[in-house]
Amino acid sequence: MGGGVAAPESQSSRKKGKKKKTKRIGFTLDMTPMVDVAFLLLTFFMLTTTFAKPNTMEVNLPSKDMTEVKVAESNVLTIRVTEGDKAYWNIAFDEPKPFELYDRSGEKPTISNAFRELLKTESEKIRQRVGEDVMAIVLKFDKKAQYRNLVDVLDELNILRYKRFSIADYTEQDAEEIKKVSGTQPAKPTQP
Amino acid sequence: MAKVKKAKRTGVKQDMTPMVDVAFLLLTFFMLTTQFRPPELTPVSLPSATAERKLPDKDIMVVTVGAKGDVYLGVDAQPTRDRIFNNYIAKRLGEAGMGAAAVEDSARKFRLAEGFFVGDGSNMERLATNLETMIIQARLAEPRLRPVIKADVTADYEYIKLIMDTFRKTNMPTFNLITSLEALPKPQN
Repeated sequence: MGGGVAAPESQSSRKKGKKKKTKRIGFTLDMTPMVDVAFLLLTFFMLTTTFAKPNTMEVNLPSKDMTEVKVAESNVLTIRVTEGDKAYWNIAFDEPKPFELYDRSGEKPTISNAFRELLKTESEKIRQRVGEDVMAIVLKFDKKAQYRNLVDVLDELNILRYKRFSIADYTEQDAEEIKKVSGTQPAKPTQP
Repeated sequence: MAKVKKAKRTGVKQDMTPMVDVAFLLLTFFMLTTQFRPPELTPVSLPSATAERKLPDKDIMVVTVGAKGDVYLGVDAQPTRDRIFNNYIAKRLGEAGMGAAAVEDSARKFRLAEGFFVGDGSNMERLATNLETMIIQARLAEPRLRPVIKADVTADYEYIKLIMDTFRKTNMPTFNLITSLEALPKPQN
């Protein structure tokens, strides 16, 4: 690692020019340490820099003075998620039916195919009936549901390009309905 | 033998100036572009999603939620932090009977802190009111702030809902959720 940028030569050139060009000898500086430091810093900054900005998912809630959009009840698919990743779905005022939101066969739980199938078949049914793609999805998360559920469901809807969905409050009534179906015996046909 | 050795060791001389120039250029570039990651307020493991939209690099207001439901609020620019402090917190501290020097001291801390504690699940109402006041103060200090939620995967939805409701109430219906990138699922259909 020895040897400067121009150090070895300096000795001989100085000897030669000593008499004639005394003024113009200049000086040579051994720049090795500086270059070493420069490279050290360069390596450091190169290794520590991360250009990656965090990724984000954009959410648009209706602003508070937005007018309500009216949708026929029969076109509304409600998805409720409660504590412990339990998920239920229903159309209009039907009885909520449980489904597996996550597929746990892999190393990490991922959104199950059941959920995708469900969305596809239900939207297809509605399309057949109405003749248009008018299914609206309402998402209701219990307060004990996890943040993960929200992100996963929103992400899945984004991937499958469902544009008509909204996030609604999980009310007492929802809780009651879920309690009814998650109880031991299957409940009787629902009421509104 | 000695002769041979010496002949070999004359070595090659190379002009290293261009290389050093490039090295310095790169060094300068990396030095100027590096942003050091600030210490985390609370450990957060981000949810993964396929969203690829990037976080804007300035004027953001981050609400951080830890796994246990501890909520922090932070803004990125120091001038904004100063304004929040001078407009609101300094007054409150003064009312609480804090001396000028102490207020000055906490101003300095506030300016350098990535965020501050707003509340946690032990008192939801206080958390809600605190969060709303602080968000309003932050918006007063910098109207262009973009709200961002950075929450732990295991955080209860309760907190997220509270934050979303507050954003809505303060007239910021559009916000971002920070996620980590996940590859698109294999069977797309």
